[in-house]
Amino acid sequence: MKWPLRIAAAVATAYALLCGVVLAAMMQTPERFGQFMTYVPEPVVWGLAPGERLWRWARAGRLHVGDEAPDFSLRSQSGSARVTLSAFRGQRPVVLVFGSYT
Amino acid sequence: MPALNRLYREYRDRVAFYVVYVQEAHPIDAWQMDVNVEDGVLVASTKTDDERFDAAGLCVTKLGIELPAVMDEVDDRVERAYTGWPDRLYVVGADGRVVYKSAAGPFGFRTSEVEASLKGLVSAAPQPRTSALASPRTSP
Repeated sequence: MKWPLRIAAAVATAYALLCGVVLAAMMQTPERFGQFMTYVPEPVVWGLAPGERLWRWARAGRLHVGDEAPDFSLRSQSGSARVTLSAFRGQRPVVLVFGSYT
Repeated sequence: MPALNRLYREYRDRVAFYVVYVQEAHPIDAWQMDVNVEDGVLVASTKTDDERFDAAGLCVTKLGIELPAVMDEVDDRVERAYTGWPDRLYVVGADGRVVYKSAAGPFGFRTSEVEASLKGLVSAAPQPRTSALASPRTSP
């Protein structure tokens, strides 16, 4: 009776360790996480470990619905004028689509 | 992209839309993706304003994005404030407050949720002219 229990405990510990490592990596900067992903096979992160769940949790962020949206003034792709978020206050809602080509 | 473009076309007269271009999700010098290699989507991580400007321009052109785009500073300050990497959707109300925040991308990138949020926000706004074939508005 002892051996199956020991093996189960070892597997559970290893799994918990894996999830811990993956979660810790996901909470790093995008650059660090990207580096991590060059070493760890994707199926391990997204298949073996509950990658999607861990990712959602790690990337929840500190901004919540109802909070004041952090202001910014960023350079536009077209034209030289900068776009300032707070300029829209009292005018119209703003949809922000964060992303990149790759 | 088509869904986002469609949303943009429908609401642009009442809502401002911006792509906030952040650090590459799968740069060639780090976490490269096979599917990107196959598709010829090869971009190094952007470390200067000019590099990011060029990458954003490539993205907008190649993906046929109709929305205007702005680039995050190379220190990724806006991405950090919004936890926007690799992609994410937000709706900011006219009062300057976050009205909708998607779950972290790519899993949480749902245009339909943005549409639902906008429908609630602009319902009070004057309706654009509709064709005579549309059903008439009835009083509540």
